[in-house]
Amino acid sequence: MIAKMPLCAAAIVALLAVRIGSAADAPSPQLVAATAARSVVKIYGAGGVRGLEAYQSGIILSPDGRIATVMSTVLDSEGIDCVLDDGRRFEATLVGVDLRRELAVLSIDATDLPAAVPAEERAAAGTRVLAVSNLFGVAVGDERASVQRGVIATVVPLEARRGAADAPYTGTVYVLDFTTNNPGSPGGAVVDSRGRLLGMIGKELRSSAGGIWLNYALPMDEVLAGCEAIAAGGGSPPLVAAAPPFDLGLLGIVLVPDLLDRTPPFVEAVLPGSAATRAGLASDDLLIAVGGRAVGSRTAAERAVGAIPAGDPVQLSVIRDGTVVDCDLGPRPAAAERSTPQEAAP
Amino acid sequence: MSRLRGVLTFIVVAMLEGARGVAAEPTHAEEAAFRAAVSQVAAAVVRIEPVAGAAVAGAAGEEAGVASGPSTGLVIDPAGLVFATSFAVPDTAREAVVVLPDGRRVAAKPLGRDEPRGIVLLKTEAIPTACAVEPAPRRSLLPGQWTIAVGRGWSAAEPSVAVGILSAVDRGWGLAVQTDAAVSPMNYGGPLVDIAGRVIGIVAPLPAEPAQMMRGTELYDAGIGFAVPLEDLLAVLPRLAAGESLAGGILGIGYRSRDAINGDPVIASVRQGSPAARAGLRPGDRIVAVDGRPVRRVADARHAVAPRHAGDTIDVEVDRRRGGETIRIAARPSLTATLPPWRRAILGVVVAAGDDQEDDAPARIDWVLPGGPADRAGIAAGASVASIALLGEAQPLAAQPGAAQPGDDAVEAPSAAALAGVVAGLEPGQSVRLGVRRGDQVTTTDIVLDEMIQQVPDEPPPPRAVAGPGGGADAVRVSRLGGADVALPPLVVIPPGRGPVPVLIWFGLPHGAADEAEAAPWKAAAAAAGVAVILPGSRERREWSADDIGGVARAIESLNALRPVDTTRVAVAGRGPGGAFAWLLAERLGTGCRGVAVLDAPLPARFTITDAEPGTAKWMLLGGGDDAAARRRATDSDRLARAGHAVGTLTESADGGPPTALLCRWAAALGLL
Repeated sequence: MIAKMPLCAAAIVALLAVRIGSAADAPSPQLVAATAARSVVKIYGAGGVRGLEAYQSGIILSPDGRIATVMSTVLDSEGIDCVLDDGRRFEATLVGVDLRRELAVLSIDATDLPAAVPAEERAAAGTRVLAVSNLFGVAVGDERASVQRGVIATVVPLEARRGAADAPYTGTVYVLDFTTNNPGSPGGAVVDSRGRLLGMIGKELRSSAGGIWLNYALPMDEVLAGCEAIAAGGGSPPLVAAAPPFDLGLLGIVLVPDLLDRTPPFVEAVLPGSAATRAGLASDDLLIAVGGRAVGSRTAAERAVGAIPAGDPVQLSVIRDGTVVDCDLGPRPAAAERSTPQEAAP
Repeated sequence: MSRLRGVLTFIVVAMLEGARGVAAEPTHAEEAAFRAAVSQVAAAVVRIEPVAGAAVAGAAGEEAGVASGPSTGLVIDPAGLVFATSFAVPDTAREAVVVLPDGRRVAAKPLGRDEPRGIVLLKTEAIPTACAVEPAPRRSLLPGQWTIAVGRGWSAAEPSVAVGILSAVDRGWGLAVQTDAAVSPMNYGGPLVDIAGRVIGIVAPLPAEPAQMMRGTELYDAGIGFAVPLEDLLAVLPRLAAGESLAGGILGIGYRSRDAINGDPVIASVRQGSPAARAGLRPGDRIVAVDGRPVRRVADARHAVAPRHAGDTIDVEVDRRRGGETIRIAARPSLTATLPPWRRAILGVVVAAGDDQEDDAPARIDWVLPGGPADRAGIAAGASVASIALLGEAQPLAAQPGAAQPGDDAVEAPSAAALAGVVAGLEPGQSVRLGVRRGDQVTTTDIVLDEMIQQVPDEPPPPRAVAGPGGGADAVRVSRLGGADVALPPLVVIPPGRGPVPVLIWFGLPHGAADEAEAAPWKAAAAAAGVAVILPGSRERREWSADDIGGVARAIESLNALRPVDTTRVAVAGRGPGGAFAWLLAERLGTGCRGVAVLDAPLPARFTITDAEPGTAKWMLLGGGDDAAARRRATDSDRLARAGHAVGTLTESADGGPPTALLCRWAAALGLL
């Protein structure tokens, strides 16, 4: 045992060298914050009226002055000013916008800028992050943008609404466990503990599911894809119109009349010989999900079926006598054809 | 040596991990720890989806504090028991949907609820994939420690993570702990875990009392979140699983002190039929311990009782004066969810208000209601109350020292406030043994309490004539209230004499600034009943406006500087538009106003009628107007009476002026005990 000690000590010395090396790879939060902040710019433009802020944040993506930010009314301005971390002020040109991702690319006439280093892969829930942004415009003059900390709460598709209108972007976002939903924050940087850029803080949005304000960031791969599309001149792909509500009668389902805003999707009747009858749906079933996604109202149910491409399977979940029953109604018919000519059963 | 080996092992392991670039740096170690903690519970965390139509149909869900979207639940037993919040599954819901981590939906039925904590236990089919969770011992919790809120509101497949620290271990009178982890309606129902993955509690939207919130959801992005300790819920799990819904427990006592925190825990009133009354607690008892926890101030008692449920039996120890010595009494009240409706009972006396709230002088009987219980028992004004004891009530436990006889355990020489407290707990028909002192002589009489009277007696209580420390004068005087900064100083008619006076605030037709001539008709009535009458001016010439309310509230304070106000006898009255304004002001003054009298002024549609409770019950007088007004008045009167308030009639005076004599007599009699 004692004879082994020197060997052990040698091993420790050898490993210590590795240890020191790896510590240098994991920078301190202070260093990460300072590095990240150098790539964040404060953007000033139009607004200041009707409660709209005239400022937001942006991220330097290339040393020659390409800056990513969110598309907003701030950019509806003759002169868009970008204030760099070192206090220098540049007038920016709007290169283009990506309407779906609500992303804009600006350009300033500068060189050797400290561009952010994007992470190569997506981060998972629980990852510690820092956010750097021009939140509330509290960083005045040449002051450095504000740094906040937290973790990625979850990585999910965005289901959000702005006012009554749905947000155009429905791809994946990082939901954050701290408040980035502040004036001026959109366009700011979210970096991991090694200083790698994970994403860009998104615009003010409310969750359509929970009705709460969202703190979220657009993942870097989406930001870069948007920037590339803008650079290629195709930055404004046509927005995909929301699928029209589907007439459930085409599947043989008659729901209770839509008297209220949020009429519960109770099945009133099932047409004989229809897909619904074959799948075992019955009157008084309460529709709770379409294709595994919850539907809370008759309208939501009709929209959810409408979003299924014609020919793809329609899977419904209902509650019947206190039990959840899954029903497979087969391929969704095109909106024009009826699955059965019969009239509704009494 | 073995220690050295341990250290060496640690260093080697740490360095190996460092070499892999995972856990060497604190940030990464914490990150790994958060993930490990989440993985301890993730398999027990489920998504809860509201079922449309299960709740009251309609779009008002969000306003009603009911979830409109998904939230979270915690599987507490793989046999199919799931905790969720009443926010996600309100008590109107007959069912809910639980989404398992694999995406499968199962139906859930509410079994039982912990109502004060807003937690519901759901029953589903067995969930064999759920892991067991370990509760974090509540005693081990320390503010500052890591807390992680785990949810599935965002996605059934992937748990969400919000990291923060424990902000406080005792919130909402012990119902909850507080965290600064960002929790939102999506997390409600999910676990708050410690760094080891043990469950501290269930995240829930508890209302924060000082923030004056109706519900707890307002704070979701304010760095303030609450969780109901899991240990507390496990303690009641068998009852919830058996389908019981647990309401908060009520003891049924009022304290003598007005200081709800640092006041002495001395019982002022014991509500008839309440758990406290049935267990033998008495006015005058000083609580010294609840459930073995020492009680030194009112807040201690509240902390001990608030977390308990209706049906729970608690151990209360009190000190009681009996026969000149203090004895220790143990009582075991079983808490209830509600108290029987309160009916105001009277002895038929008006006692002189103390010169201040802390006045300990024995209550002196100023006036005896003609034909009332005290009058029938031959008690006359001028005597003071030597003792009051309850008769015909549950006796203290037989095991107590010196088993008490009926009439024992009297409150000796009660102050005006203490006597009011005792009477507040009694109900009509109940008997008390009243000791009355006149000079050196004490006579003891048994009295059966009457129901509160509705009509104003013809004979007014006499004005105070005794000397006291308050400012006083020999003749009725008229002054203006408020200094130079008051735009429209109200007039006040102050009766002769000294000491606390009842106050009547009269609103006639709005007419701008109050004129000295208006005071003239009030002088005689104010002097005869010993009531101060405040006559405010209106800012607008043609209407009473909200701007006038603040002025009136200040006027009462200003009057207090000239002559002490008897806060148990403050009344507002008015005619027509002034009557409508009187209702408004009464609502604004709340418990500070004990009477409303109006002529030709129906109850405003927005007026909130609160059930009469000791200390808040009002005496209303309604009258005036045409036939249609009379029909409306009958309805108003019925509504007020059903809420337990006394409702009498106000008649116009013959000369068309305000019925000054009746109103002053009424104001003086408001404090009837």
